[in-house]
Amino acid sequence: MHLPDGFLDAPTALAAAALATAGLAVGLRGVRRTLPPHRVPLLGTAAAFVFAAQMLNFPVAAGTSGHLVGATLATVLLGPFAAVVALTCVVVLQALLFQDGGVTALGANVLNMAVVAPAVAAAVHGGVARALGGGPRARLAATGFAAWCSTVAAAVACAGELAAAGTAAWGAVLPAMAGVHMLVGLGEGVATTLVVAAVGRLRPELVAPVAGPRTPATGPTVAGGLVVALVFAVFVAPAACGWPDGLEHVADALGFSRAARAPALAAPWGDYLVPGLGGGAAATAAAGALGAVVAFVVASVVAWRVAPRAPGRAP
Amino acid sequence: MSVPALEVTRLSYRWPDGSVALDDVSFTVAPGERVGLVGPNGAGKSTLLLHLNGLLPEPLPAASAVKVFGTPVTAANAAAVRADVGLLFQDADDQLFCPTVGEDVAYGPRQRGVRGDALAARVAAELARVGLADAADRPPHRLSAGEKRRACLAGVLACDARLLALDEPTSALDPRSRRALRDLLLALPVACLVASHDLEFVVEVCPRVLVLDRGGVVACGPTREVLDDAATMEAHGLERPHILRHPHPHAG
Amino acid sequence: MSPRAPGAPGRRRVPAGPALALAVATVVVVVALPRGAWLVYALVGAAVLGAAAVARVRPRDVARRLVVAAPFVAGVAGLAFLQRGGAVVAGTLVAKSAVCVLAMAALTAATPFADLLDVLRRLRVPALLVTTLGLTERYLAVIGAEVARLRRARRARTFARSRRAAWTSAAGVAAHLFVRTTVRAERIHAAMTARGAR
Repeated sequence: MHLPDGFLDAPTALAAAALATAGLAVGLRGVRRTLPPHRVPLLGTAAAFVFAAQMLNFPVAAGTSGHLVGATLATVLLGPFAAVVALTCVVVLQALLFQDGGVTALGANVLNMAVVAPAVAAAVHGGVARALGGGPRARLAATGFAAWCSTVAAAVACAGELAAAGTAAWGAVLPAMAGVHMLVGLGEGVATTLVVAAVGRLRPELVAPVAGPRTPATGPTVAGGLVVALVFAVFVAPAACGWPDGLEHVADALGFSRAARAPALAAPWGDYLVPGLGGGAAATAAAGALGAVVAFVVASVVAWRVAPRAPGRAP
Repeated sequence: MSVPALEVTRLSYRWPDGSVALDDVSFTVAPGERVGLVGPNGAGKSTLLLHLNGLLPEPLPAASAVKVFGTPVTAANAAAVRADVGLLFQDADDQLFCPTVGEDVAYGPRQRGVRGDALAARVAAELARVGLADAADRPPHRLSAGEKRRACLAGVLACDARLLALDEPTSALDPRSRRALRDLLLALPVACLVASHDLEFVVEVCPRVLVLDRGGVVACGPTREVLDDAATMEAHGLERPHILRHPHPHAG
Repeated sequence: MSPRAPGAPGRRRVPAGPALALAVATVVVVVALPRGAWLVYALVGAAVLGAAAVARVRPRDVARRLVVAAPFVAGVAGLAFLQRGGAVVAGTLVAKSAVCVLAMAALTAATPFADLLDVLRRLRVPALLVTTLGLTERYLAVIGAEVARLRRARRARTFARSRRAAWTSAAGVAAHLFVRTTVRAERIHAAMTARGAR
């Protein structure tokens, strides 16, 4: 999903860079406010950990294998603000040291993978975990589903930038990117859940819900996720104008008002998939919804199997 | 007699889970003296070293059983004490956290306000002292284990440490690096507390030794006498060092 | 894990500020070029190739980076064929991204990472971010080596070859790695404190 140089035009690259900078500023401010000083080195080592975790192979089929992206893993293990900073470092180093992602596209890559992905992951994880009761199993199921949502959201963001830059047609690039990453996201979800469950077995305190009366970060996090999603919708909307039926579908989508549903389900991607294929909006929406249901079921089944069995482990 | 470099008086420490880490430990180290600290795994050696510059207990108490050059290790004195005590960690990679060796050596002095040419001169001098004069621009992960150890030493010496606390300084060193480290320590005019399983190294470097087991001091005295006592050594999971069993004609 | 060794013997060292400025300027110019300007791409490409040769970029490193990016580039370039003039768009994407990768590879080969960090610091990038970038780069090799050891240890006592076992095993390695990472971060903090950090 790393955009190389030459794929975005100047306005898109600059707009994405501005949004990324804003997101990063929120992350840095949150870290300064909430992270105790003795945890600051963890930002760097955790970023190196994400790099290293991306080296692990998860065999898929016929000799091919995938690897973790790690955005949701970082969010669940470090908290959203620290995750934004750590993931930004990962993306910047990938561009600077390994030419994985371009420098002019750095803003867009940071936005997709280090701002949108953890913001969506945090919002979905928090919302779903609470909706399911907040127990260990609920948190694991929320982890898997959040990983799927954040992967798809990052891909949709990437598709939006490509469309805005005129590199590819929205109607083609959205289903392609979203479709591929709905599959990739399933793997990411399962892998992330397995890792979080394994960390929980080794050191339960690292994945336990933060003690005390309501995490101070939860409210702003959910709000932040929603804001990012909204800003993104506004940012993507103009891109859709270039194609005959784009704008009205976006209008349709915004009028759709899925916000009435559970926020976790609606916010990250619901709006985006609808204006997809010309004339096939309903089909695309249905595909997206089906994908989400499948992802949720997979996440729940995996969580059921790997969650600690001890009944006394309630938070 | 002058103020001791280190004075530990009846120091006890329990881990947060309640298990005893240090139990009524008392000893002193004179300025410039080198003392070995030996004992089986889990005896409390590393825990003791962490107490020397106030990394334990957490938070620091108002009164302390540990005095460094006469200053008790309390919250109020922590900054001053940390300048006096150079702590060499077991894993050199934990200690070399800067992108280059030169920046790493500069870290301590910079925290204390040294800047510009004075800082550059300081870094060059410390690197030269440990034999790494040409390594300032190298990233730490390109150093050998022995070079890493010496870079760490330069880093703590640059803080003007007058007391060095070394945790397993010879682990992962090949014989040549080990020899270089030994010669370096013998030439330094600072007090040293060397925690190590490498008893040969302790015999060569430290005239006096302290045996720790289960958090308590079980023996203390001249290194060659204490470590030559087979009964004590075996009772505490140690072994008489080879060097004492067959004295080398030149080492006698 | 890190393929580059700037500052190592046999590599040339260039002042980082101008090098970064030059590389970024090159990339910006290439990106801003109009579509289908094949001759200009070729000229800039040749110049960058020269710079890369002077910086002694290893062709293998560049090739590997191009291969890593290939699926994405090919996918998007393929999509470009769906629009009018798609062949030109696709060709432009491939040419531009390749030239830019080469330019950045020349930069990383010629300038030590610590110097790049210095430039960022001078550009007023927040200190917390620069410090974290430095720590990330510093511990990449250390933690990468740890992954290799953990994987080997797992493989040494893994006999089942099922896919499920492979996933559980990889997840276990990642979990162990994360726990070690947090412990290491605590030790790094202790080392910083011991040398006077507040």
